[in-house]
Amino acid sequence: MIPISFFLVLSAAIFVLGAYGVMTKKNGLVVLMSIEMMLNSANINLVAFSGFLNDVSGQVFVLVVAAVAAAEVAVGIAILLNLFKSTNTTDVSEINILRW
Amino acid sequence: MTFLEYAWLVPIIPLAAFIIVGLFGNRTPEGGGYIAIAGAAAAFVLSLLVGYEFFTGSGDPFIMETAWLKLNDEITLNFGIYIDNLSVLMMLFASFISTLIFIYSVGYMSKEDEKKQRYYAEVSLFLTAMLGLVMASNFLEMFIFWEIVGVCSYLLIGFWSFKHPEGDDAQDDAASAAKKAFLVTRMGDVCLMGGLFVFLFAFKSLDYQVLFNAAKIATVNPDMIALGSILVFGGVIGKSAQFPLHDWLPDAMAGPTTVSALIHAATMVKAGVYLVARSYPLFVQSADVMLVVAIVGGFTAIFAASMALNNMNLKRVLAYSTLSQLGYMVLALGAGGYVMAIGLQSGDVFATEGYTAGVFHMMNHAFFKALLFLGAGSVIFAVGSEDMRQMGGLGKKMRVTSVTMLIGALSIAGIPLFAGFWSKDLVLAAVIDANAAGGGGVFILLFIMGVVTALMTAFYMFRLWYMTFRGEEGEASKRCAGESPRTMTSPLMVLAALALFSGFFILVGFNDLLTFSFVGGSFVVGGHGTGAIDLLVHLAESPYTYLSIVVAVLGIYLAYRMYKVKDVDPGRFNADGESKPYKLLQKRYYFPQFYNAIAMKFAHPLAMAVNYFDREAVDGTVNGIAGTIVNGSEGLRKTQDGQVHTYATVVVGGVVLLAALLFIAVYLSGGL
Repeated sequence: MIPISFFLVLSAAIFVLGAYGVMTKKNGLVVLMSIEMMLNSANINLVAFSGFLNDVSGQVFVLVVAAVAAAEVAVGIAILLNLFKSTNTTDVSEINILRW
Repeated sequence: MTFLEYAWLVPIIPLAAFIIVGLFGNRTPEGGGYIAIAGAAAAFVLSLLVGYEFFTGSGDPFIMETAWLKLNDEITLNFGIYIDNLSVLMMLFASFISTLIFIYSVGYMSKEDEKKQRYYAEVSLFLTAMLGLVMASNFLEMFIFWEIVGVCSYLLIGFWSFKHPEGDDAQDDAASAAKKAFLVTRMGDVCLMGGLFVFLFAFKSLDYQVLFNAAKIATVNPDMIALGSILVFGGVIGKSAQFPLHDWLPDAMAGPTTVSALIHAATMVKAGVYLVARSYPLFVQSADVMLVVAIVGGFTAIFAASMALNNMNLKRVLAYSTLSQLGYMVLALGAGGYVMAIGLQSGDVFATEGYTAGVFHMMNHAFFKALLFLGAGSVIFAVGSEDMRQMGGLGKKMRVTSVTMLIGALSIAGIPLFAGFWSKDLVLAAVIDANAAGGGGVFILLFIMGVVTALMTAFYMFRLWYMTFRGEEGEASKRCAGESPRTMTSPLMVLAALALFSGFFILVGFNDLLTFSFVGGSFVVGGHGTGAIDLLVHLAESPYTYLSIVVAVLGIYLAYRMYKVKDVDPGRFNADGESKPYKLLQKRYYFPQFYNAIAMKFAHPLAMAVNYFDREAVDGTVNGIAGTIVNGSEGLRKTQDGQVHTYATVVVGGVVLLAALLFIAVYLSGGL
């Protein structure tokens, strides 16, 4: 059996990569993808602990998270699409009208 | 049905008139004048009913009060009414004279158009406050009304500060006179408030009922009572315009003559005298306080009368005369109180004539001085000038005014049978009595001052009368188109009748109502007076009575020779107005300059320093704090730059920080 720490390290690595992507990538689509990575790293954690503790509720949570992530991406992409229509760019560093 | 229980309505009725006139005055005839008259008349009728019921009752003070502020378990401040002989007397003459003066105002203020509303509203408010002042059941309530009459006085002195019939200079005059009256009386009011604090501290109450309880007084440190009394007397000096805070009253003549008659002669300035009479049980605890009261009063009497001698302004002469007569009242109360204070210590005198004299003179003065002012108003209304040099010969054109004013002048001069004679002689008799009780000759001096004042009074009143109504017609007299309207002359006639006869009240048992005595372990107002016959005999036997008559006749004779026959040239005594004493009097003993110098030397730098402190220290702190916050937030808002990356970084940084803190906390608490 694979030790639980392996899953945790993998999850942490994916989470950090996702966070790095959110903080650095300029393309809005890539940022959304990075967010998906972070969500899925959390899913790995949930599944791993579910198996480790023999408790199925962790897997149920994963399903809920997946559904929410799908909805979030749908909304996020719709916003990006509209932004692209009006500003002709998906570069989030150029979209800064909501500021002081 | 008892009217006493409805006595609280007496000040409420003029208050209702004030509200109605204040809101809707100009939509009614005469700018609400008739409503104000009705209010004052109703208050007078109710006062009469209350007075009748009170005098036919037991004679104990009627008290009705309700708790107002409960400061702590010990001290409760009340609000209510306290009716005894003194308050009934004050209620009666304040509402009666107000009614007459409001009627007179219909004629006198007829040219004021839309400003009538303001005038009648303010005088109604004044009457409310004056009635409230005399009916109050404790010192704090009295003080509140005391301040309201001050405000009304301020507003009415400045009545012509916007549009004056005589132009711009007079407007500025009215505004600064109003300000001066307000500020000068304020100095007295601060003293009065200090006195109230002393009493509150000493007695744990401000109710008259508690404070005047002899058993309660005995438990309080006499020094505290003396301190409180002298501070309260400071308020009296301000309100009743005694030396050295007297200078606002002559300036207050910038207001309409009706206001001068009502507020600055007949009622408001009497509030101070009333307060001394009201606080008598406390004042008589200390002979020294009473000596101070008597000296201030006596000095004011002669000091003010001297300034009336050479003044050319009709109203100013009357103003100085008011000052001087107020001095008489304060002198009488002080002298009487001195006798009683000494008597209470040695335990052999329990009543005083001075109280009767002071209060009686207060009532008589209200009648004859209101009469003189209204007469002067009638003259000013007819000729449009206040300068007596431009008058003269008005006797034929204004017969009613000249005859009624003659009665007023005879009364104030103290000619026998007229009102002023009775009360003035009682005042002088009280001073002689006080000398018998002690005082080390001070009272002899005060008596001489009183007699000299009587001489001056007779002289300046008849100088005024001859200059105005006799002799050749002056420049202004030619403009006179005859007697004033009936609304103005009828109050004059009523007041003239009273100035003639009100002295006789003392013979029909009135003096029994105005006494102050210590009977059966408590202080009592009313009763136990000298009988009328005894009083007459006393007056007839006393050589001083004849002295004062001779002095009055001498004064009138002097005025007759100088201003009627004119065989004695007044210019001979003063180098035609160039001599030093003449100028000294004309400049009011340089008191206005003295005040200004004090203001410039002390008050102005102090005010500048306070201003500097206020701007730099207080405002500086407040503005500094506000400025720091504004600048800081200007910088902080730049962090919201609209960049998703920045926000994400901050969130991640925050999470990392929290995690780090959590680790540290776990580590420090010794691990999981």
